[in-house]
Amino acid sequence: MAAKLNDFYKQAAQEFGLAGRIKLAMLTKISSEKAEAAPDSPENIRIFEQAMAQLRAGGG
Amino acid sequence: MKISTKLILFFCGVVTLFVLLAVALLAQTRTVSAGYDALLARQVRQAEEARVIQVSFKKQVQEWKDILLRGHTPDDLVKYTKQFHDEESSVRSGAEALAAGMQDAESRDLLEQFVAAHKTMGEKYQAAYDAYVASGFDFKVADKMVRGQDRAPTDLFDQVVKRLNDEVVASVAAQARAVARARNLALAFSGGLLAGLGLVGFVTVRTILQRLGRLKAVSDRLARADIEGLSVDISGPDEIGQFGDSMKGVHAAIEELTKLASAAGQA
Repeated sequence: MAAKLNDFYKQAAQEFGLAGRIKLAMLTKISSEKAEAAPDSPENIRIFEQAMAQLRAGGG
Repeated sequence: MKISTKLILFFCGVVTLFVLLAVALLAQTRTVSAGYDALLARQVRQAEEARVIQVSFKKQVQEWKDILLRGHTPDDLVKYTKQFHDEESSVRSGAEALAAGMQDAESRDLLEQFVAAHKTMGEKYQAAYDAYVASGFDFKVADKMVRGQDRAPTDLFDQVVKRLNDEVVASVAAQARAVARARNLALAFSGGLLAGLGLVGFVTVRTILQRLGRLKAVSDRLARADIEGLSVDISGPDEIGQFGDSMKGVHAAIEELTKLASAAGQA
């Protein structure tokens, strides 16, 4: 259902490891479990993109 | 709206209310003071002047009796005659001045009647005085000529004094009623405003406490790692909403951590 949101989690894990996943959950306020059920809405995608940008800016 | 903004607005509201109440009370005090000043400046002063004239008139009549009783002695005759004319002059000028400044038409009319009656009485007293001296100080002759002549002016002036006193009493009562009316209005107005502010304050504090209670419940569950079915539904633009939003992040992170830990345990 939320393939794109799951991709963000995979990307965070690849780039920053487990800590990256936890930080992504903290920043987006949506855990990977909930992301699976959440829709790939433009709003959700924007939230995850911003969170990824923050992670990258902070070096994970 | 932020809690800090709400508190500042509430504080400003209370301060503004008290400043307005202080200004209103100051204005009220000035109005009452002006009312009593006007009362003292005119009605009370006129009543006081009338009482002074009334006393002078009684002294004038007393001097006449002293003339009759002791006028057979030349020195006493001169002394009491002078005192009689002094009091007569004082009464007449005082009554004329009082009538000139009198706003109440009926009192002014009574005073004018008194001045006329007093003048007539003076003429009769002068004739009696002349007869008294001519008769070799026979007081019976003089007394017979003016007996009861002071009654009419006395009654007239008593009416003036009574009327002025009644006017003062009525004005004081009217002033007291105006003060009571203004006081009741101020009490009702300030009471209403205070009740309104109190209600707003109560509702604000109650809402904040309710939301803080929900936040604490979420925090307690997170502290116990009891995240199963936990929903952080605390939002809003204020500090509690922001804190609730942060809690959502912590909640999501713990969920993620739990999931990872669980996956690691299974592996």
